[in-house]
Amino acid sequence: MGIISMEKVDHLYWLGRYTERVYTTLRVFFHIYDRIIEQPEGIYGKYCERLNIPNIYTSNRQFVQSYLFGEDNPDSVYSNMRRAYDNAIVLRDELSSTVLSYVQLALDTFASCRKTTAPLLELQQVIDDLLAFWGGADDYVEEEDCRNILKCGKYVERLDLCIRLDYHEKDLEKEYRKLCNRLGKTNLNYSPQSLARLEEIILREEDPKSHYGEALACLGGLIYAG
Amino acid sequence: MRELIEHTEGINRLMARYGVKFGIYKGGEFHEQLFPFDAIPRVITHEEFRQLERGLIQRVDALNLFLNDIYGEKKIIADGVIPEEFVFISSGYLPQCEGIKPPKNIYSHISGIDLVLGKDGEWYILEDNLRIPSGASYPMIAREICRRVSPATFGNNSVVDNRQYAAMLRETLDWVNTGGVPVIMTPGRYNAAYFEHSYLAERTGSALASCTDLFVEDNYLYYKDYRDRKQKVGVIYRRISDEYLDPMTFLPESLIGIPNLMDVYRRGNVAIVNAPGNGVADDKGIYYFVPKMIRYYLDQEPVLKNAPTYLPFYEEDKKYVLDNLEKLVIKDVAEAGGYGVIFGNELSRERLQEMKELIERESRRFIAQEVIDFQDMEVMDGDEKVLRKADLRAFVLSGEKTRVWPSGLTRFSRNADSFVVNSSQGGGFKDTWVLSQWKK
Repeated sequence: MGIISMEKVDHLYWLGRYTERVYTTLRVFFHIYDRIIEQPEGIYGKYCERLNIPNIYTSNRQFVQSYLFGEDNPDSVYSNMRRAYDNAIVLRDELSSTVLSYVQLALDTFASCRKTTAPLLELQQVIDDLLAFWGGADDYVEEEDCRNILKCGKYVERLDLCIRLDYHEKDLEKEYRKLCNRLGKTNLNYSPQSLARLEEIILREEDPKSHYGEALACLGGLIYAG
Repeated sequence: MRELIEHTEGINRLMARYGVKFGIYKGGEFHEQLFPFDAIPRVITHEEFRQLERGLIQRVDALNLFLNDIYGEKKIIADGVIPEEFVFISSGYLPQCEGIKPPKNIYSHISGIDLVLGKDGEWYILEDNLRIPSGASYPMIAREICRRVSPATFGNNSVVDNRQYAAMLRETLDWVNTGGVPVIMTPGRYNAAYFEHSYLAERTGSALASCTDLFVEDNYLYYKDYRDRKQKVGVIYRRISDEYLDPMTFLPESLIGIPNLMDVYRRGNVAIVNAPGNGVADDKGIYYFVPKMIRYYLDQEPVLKNAPTYLPFYEEDKKYVLDNLEKLVIKDVAEAGGYGVIFGNELSRERLQEMKELIERESRRFIAQEVIDFQDMEVMDGDEKVLRKADLRAFVLSGEKTRVWPSGLTRFSRNADSFVVNSSQGGGFKDTWVLSQWKK
């Protein structure tokens, strides 16, 4: 139909953000889980600090359970998966049942992984479902505007996580360019000043890391409603 | 068919993947539940369907004429066919709709008629649902999946394809469209039938809109874009109750609805599907009079029978009801969804007496029906076939013509002793096959 309500724009944007958050944090978690084998207790402290989430964990074992699956833990990957679902479920007519089904599958698989003794084995399926979701979105979502808004959410989140998790500068540059490309194709309201400063920090600052706090603030205020 | 049954679990798994669910509130909390599917279909022969079709079209046409009459000239009351008390004290009667002519004079565009098949082989109408009947999406998606799971079953049986429901619905919406885009208006994802709202929006190519997406300007209804563009709405398939449609007309304290929508509707600038005020025609008390309506408006004998019904409002009926309460089923006309249904044979002596006193005091509030001994249907319970009560919700669409969807929602009780088949009370569903006249 070619028109998208403000409410749906919000859901598309946050669906992009939450699916990306689940995807990237799960992949990072795979590395942490591997390091836990050799490293002492408390390895998660640094990770919490970087993501700016409260370190409420008491042991590696409890971290694995609560951070991955904690239903009452608002920062758990599962809680983020639920938020992705909450945004997706109201977008069936924009996404199509086919694309929506991959979010449903990812959520159902995640929920069923809770009792397993080998979570990473099963959680690989969640990653696969999310990749299928993104592939499906490219293939099935007819409205280009919808795809662009969805991907804006995705790249804002990706860039945010890359900065927080101290990815290589080349990666940051790549993700920044993807975000700019998508943002330019939407009619979302955004702050040109924030975007310009973000570009300066990522592409031109001599010591970009010393400005990462500012970069995150620019990213947080980049897109706004109204 | 065996193949289908063998794959019941797989079919249900695919349903879960596509989010085939309904919402339910328990203890004040919202829960989404899967709607269990049983792969053994209800089968309706071509000849049987033709008969049902004739009866359903006749009934819905009469109900539409009744609604036109009640909100217009009220001849049926003047001619003494229906007592006015039954019309004007019905909670479904909306004085705000007096004198409004809906586009193309259609009130009930989508009618869900609940029937059961008696052991005597006769179909009986249990209830008419003319407000926002739900359920078509479940057999639609079930058929889609079943055909994928066992093409041979459908190759070997001449089953009429039911997947054209969305096209039929879109044609119905287009027929009354006053010029603009079609939208399906939902109260939101915490509504029991949200899956259906979103699925039908996808399949009919309509925009799924919440109240905040729509607004009235200069007596037209518009859908609001995030870029401040607006698009005129010509037809709104609302999945929200009458009283929440427009706070300026109905409930001023309501926080939902579209202010001034009824003004747009009154001027004929938008079609509301189904029309507000239909509740007066599917009231449990009015049900008793539908055969009379058919004779009155169409000068025809009803093709389909009502379940034998008594109105305690009439002295003669009241006497019968009070004398035979223990073998009757009592329905509170104000309740829906399987609630307010009381089987006399399940009441203790004290409760029976209390019920009699209540009927004496509030005779307009109840109807009483004979318990129809309806046919049980086979349902898989694990690996075992068991017999359960089941009904059929047939969908009748009124547009350029009145048409019956060659399928329907068959709901069954999962409890061996229960007659209540509603999904909200734990029931499951089946596909409904209508066989083609062309045998394979």
